[in-house]
Amino acid sequence: MNILKPADAPILGAPAPAIAFIILFLSVAFFCYVMFRRLDVLRKAAPDPRFSNISTRLLRALMYGFGQWRQPRYLGAGILHILLFAGFMILSLRSLTLIGRGFSPTFHIPFLTGSVGFAYESLKDYTVIVVLIVCLVAIVRRAVFHPKRYDHPGTAGHEYEAYVILGLVSALMITDMIHDGSAYRASGVCGEYHWFPAAAFASVFMPSNDPATLNFLHVGGYWAHILFFFGLLNYLPISKHFHVITAIPNVFFSNLNKGTIKPVRYGTVDWMELDQCGVSDLTGFTWKHILDFYSCADCGRCSDNCPANTVGRALSPKMISVKARDYAYENFPVFDKTSKDPAHEKRLVGDIITEQEIWACTTCGACEAECPIFIEYIDKIVDMRRYLIDRGEVPQSLQKPLQQIKKKGNAYGAMKSKRAAWTKDLEEFQVHILAEGEHSDLLFFVDSCGSFDPRIQEIAKSFARIMARNKLDFAILGQEENDSGNEVRRLGEEGLFEQVSGRNIEAFKARNFEEIVAFDPHAFNAIKNDYPEPFKVIHSSQLIYRLLSHGVMSLNGEYLGGRVVTYHDPCYLGRHNGIYEEPRRVLKSIPGIQYQEMTRSFSRSFCCSGGGLLLWYENEEEKERMGERRVKMAMEIGAQVIVTACPFCLINIEDAIKTTGNEGKIEVIDLVELIDRSTS
Amino acid sequence: MNIIVCMKWTPDTSEADLTVSTTAKDIKKDDLDYDMNDWDRFAIEEAAQIKEKVGGKVTVVSLAPEESEDMLRECLARGADEAFQIWSDQMEGGDGYAMASVLSQFIKGRPHDLILTGTLAEDDGAGQLGGMLAAMLDIPSATLVSKIEIKDQKASFVRELEGGLYESMEMDLPCLIAVATGLNEPRFVSIRAVRKVTSIEIPNVGIDEIGIDVGKVGQSGARVEIEQVSLPPEGEGAEIIKGKPEEAAARLAEILKEKGAIG
Amino acid sequence: MENIYVLAEHRKGVIRDTTWEAIAAGRKLSSELGVELTCILLSANAAMAETLSTEAPRVMVVENPIFETMNSEAIIKTLKEVLKPSGSYVLLMGASNAILDFAPGLSVALDAALATDCFAAEVRNGKLFASRQMYSYKINSLVSFKDSERVVLTIRAGSFPYAPSDAVKGAIENVACPIDPTSLRKRFIKYVEAEKGDVDIASADIIVSVGRGIGDEPDLDVFQSLADTMGGVLACSRPIVDKNLLPKFHQVGTSGVEVKPKVYLALGISGAFQHLGGIKGSPLLVAVNKDPRAPIFRVASYGIVGDLNEVVPVLNEKIKSLKG
Repeated sequence: MNILKPADAPILGAPAPAIAFIILFLSVAFFCYVMFRRLDVLRKAAPDPRFSNISTRLLRALMYGFGQWRQPRYLGAGILHILLFAGFMILSLRSLTLIGRGFSPTFHIPFLTGSVGFAYESLKDYTVIVVLIVCLVAIVRRAVFHPKRYDHPGTAGHEYEAYVILGLVSALMITDMIHDGSAYRASGVCGEYHWFPAAAFASVFMPSNDPATLNFLHVGGYWAHILFFFGLLNYLPISKHFHVITAIPNVFFSNLNKGTIKPVRYGTVDWMELDQCGVSDLTGFTWKHILDFYSCADCGRCSDNCPANTVGRALSPKMISVKARDYAYENFPVFDKTSKDPAHEKRLVGDIITEQEIWACTTCGACEAECPIFIEYIDKIVDMRRYLIDRGEVPQSLQKPLQQIKKKGNAYGAMKSKRAAWTKDLEEFQVHILAEGEHSDLLFFVDSCGSFDPRIQEIAKSFARIMARNKLDFAILGQEENDSGNEVRRLGEEGLFEQVSGRNIEAFKARNFEEIVAFDPHAFNAIKNDYPEPFKVIHSSQLIYRLLSHGVMSLNGEYLGGRVVTYHDPCYLGRHNGIYEEPRRVLKSIPGIQYQEMTRSFSRSFCCSGGGLLLWYENEEEKERMGERRVKMAMEIGAQVIVTACPFCLINIEDAIKTTGNEGKIEVIDLVELIDRSTS
Repeated sequence: MNIIVCMKWTPDTSEADLTVSTTAKDIKKDDLDYDMNDWDRFAIEEAAQIKEKVGGKVTVVSLAPEESEDMLRECLARGADEAFQIWSDQMEGGDGYAMASVLSQFIKGRPHDLILTGTLAEDDGAGQLGGMLAAMLDIPSATLVSKIEIKDQKASFVRELEGGLYESMEMDLPCLIAVATGLNEPRFVSIRAVRKVTSIEIPNVGIDEIGIDVGKVGQSGARVEIEQVSLPPEGEGAEIIKGKPEEAAARLAEILKEKGAIG
Repeated sequence: MENIYVLAEHRKGVIRDTTWEAIAAGRKLSSELGVELTCILLSANAAMAETLSTEAPRVMVVENPIFETMNSEAIIKTLKEVLKPSGSYVLLMGASNAILDFAPGLSVALDAALATDCFAAEVRNGKLFASRQMYSYKINSLVSFKDSERVVLTIRAGSFPYAPSDAVKGAIENVACPIDPTSLRKRFIKYVEAEKGDVDIASADIIVSVGRGIGDEPDLDVFQSLADTMGGVLACSRPIVDKNLLPKFHQVGTSGVEVKPKVYLALGISGAFQHLGGIKGSPLLVAVNKDPRAPIFRVASYGIVGDLNEVVPVLNEKIKSLKG
């Protein structure tokens, strides 16, 4: 039989193309209006220059957007998503074709004719099966296994959205199968089932000799498909599934400047003159940050990896996006509601995103490293902290160290004049304090921790010994050095950051050196990425690696004595600066080393709870300290020595070894100290 | 509501190694960092919070040389409306009594409903200025106050006694309250907050303008004379008591006894 | 100086120990100056003077219900009248929180010089000297009093050891209350107990504090027993609270309770600055820790490097035996 084409079948007397036109017009018009309303919020937001380096951005969009590069970090869910995404790409042509078939029974997309068209039709049919299976698996995963990262603590009604979308997609597939299946049945060509498995499968359930039913299924399936399609399209921008539209642009516009913090407001000459510093409301965020909120798919990978979330602090990065998106949808609705009762109005920063959440972040960057579509969190957290700082609402435990840095240049409250006092313990040689105008090859930036914390002074001494032993020409700034400002900036006190960094820059410029070297990744990061003037800076692990590869230094395995060693990647060395390999190569050059990698290593390293001023921050909510969790991870792989390359990791983990009662079973040591002790 | 807060500019000695000056009448202060007396930080915060609640004007006054401007700016950033710096060279070497004399003379001529200050200053640790000033102004006062409520021309407050006991009291305004640390959570003052108040002028008032007799200020106005200061005898770092655990413990017990540390 | 006075401090009907220490200081000065000691009691119950009369040759009592508590305004106004005819004198009081409320105002009212929180006082060649501490308690300062016929001293607890005297019963002299209590501008309402716990470490003079070095499943009774023996309270650092071994109000530190003890015994505490930041003043700090590199030893006066399980029981026994 010849099946009745949808375009040829009037509906209630009206010609089908007219109906198709009305549906198309109304849907597209509504969609455009919603999109306009959504994007209008971005227009009201703070500026953000994201149009530089177009080629890099395109590449990123290709690789991480279309290529879904980060998806397989969660293997199962990643594969499902890749299949679904690929299905979407393939089926988009099919959808266009079907829309056209409402107007003309023979409509096809140019070039999709003949054998190409046949191949596409066949591919499409396989895709429909795959997508339907993926949807069913995804529904079962959520409903039966409900992974914790999909939860929405503190808000209601978000879980159902996933079922709505999976249901809609399944419905699209099923209606497509009904539409094609009925034609397949009517054509009677059963031999082609391996080319069109979806249609063939659907046809099994259809009568072969009932033209009226087949026509009804074919036309009905078509219109149902069209309605589900436009329903889905218009559901996207009013749900979490906006990411289907915004994710790829979001990757394209993602942050290319790793390791640094955005200025208070882009394009402002003197931010201090602004009426408000920092972000208190939705439109205080930059347009890209609001696009982030739109784009979050609630997959929860960020929160799953967030150390603060893991130990029970109030923070869940995902929920920041979810809550901000809810706030955006509510306060910038598609259709203006009548005026709201201001008494019930909640502030975005303070009420919806609480101070506890804002201060709980260690800026470790695990969330950003994990997000498949590059949603940013650190800049937002810092922007909100800037607002709290501006209002004076700072946890008491952080106020004192900040004030000390303001007055004395270090959080320890120690006197400036004692900044070089640690060098007095070195008997074998003297550490030179570089005076203005003098030259040395290396300027050793000790930072406040190395200068004043008794435990960290030991690292400073070890490092000085290594450099002296290898006859390197190095010097320190002595009391001209100020705190690097890395945490000051990340805690949102931009003015103080400008003060301390400005003093350091002045001191750097008044002296001659080839490069700065620091063993504290926070100082390294600040100088490398935050300081407005470029200085060449390397990390101690890089310097040691250089010495080893030049063959000027030889190591022995005596100190390690055959113990199992693992390496803990410091956030500000690894994630923020991509230095993963040098420390490992240094370690592996120790003769006879027994090296084991922890499950969470490289970009998945687990923050020890933060450095710099965060050492002073005391969190009341956490059930376990991050360092303790980290020690357990090391114990699980049988490590006896944790090597790190950050003084704060060392302090936190050393503390945690004691609190978990593992003294004597496992030791933590800084790479610098280990090399010092392993040098013959 | 006119609130006057008396702030002290004190050397930060908590972390510093102190040495006695050549005259042995004071310590060497050249290397010390000066800062707002920590107790007074709570006083200015309380003033700002009272102003936020009941309205009024907060005036900050400090008897300190020009270097203390940072402290007064910080007070303005915390919410004070005006600040005065009272200093003349003749005021050098004054004790709490001499300082109270200057302050009372200054405050007498201005409206005051509530005077706030910290109970103690970290430098002399005497805890005398508040009470003396109130007596000179003939207004009631209270020290070590850990909670204040202003209502109906009265100040209801709670002050600390020992052993977890507090006394709840009230005073008629005008009155002076010397606060305890911890009665509030002082706000953070950012660099920007201070910059916002840079345009406010901080008048420097000399003793002539206050109209106080030179003989009443500084060393000549003081009633207490420091004869000599000295470092209490103590070693650098801990003296490690060696020996077997039992021996060391026994020795420690004796030391505690000698030091009168066994209650 | 023609007279030495001691003002008695009382609370809830009981003479406080600060009074006896002030009397001890008064006795020393009275023998050095060769003048009689007079104790002054302002109380709602004149019978309290009985206990004082065994310790001082003369007791002056002003009885009035207003003196149920130590109301500073009432005390200042009363003493101003009572001491008017007295010529030159030294007035001694304990350096307590109640007395800190009126000592400075009183000195102005009496036109006297004041030295607070004195740990020593002596008369040399007829001149009075007092010793007190300055600059975060890091400096001792010896002071004298210029052109002053009248001096008020408050005496730091523990500075003048007190021993009951066998003196003959002193004369009790009743003085009429010279003030009208209804005219006072400062009024007592009630006592308030802190909503803390059973222990107030903030005002304790002797603190035995335990840290993570006491192990995972410590027997806290051992440490409590030592604290009891020493007449102190048991406190701790954060990890102990984290492990729910002690409630939060026992925690010393910047996020816990700030303490100002005279003696601080740190057991198994490494000396993190968050913890040390909560210890104000400069107590006699003694540390026991098995890690010789623990920072606590840098700030402690005395230290033992060793195992707490071995040291603490012995220490407890020794202190018990020394106390007799």
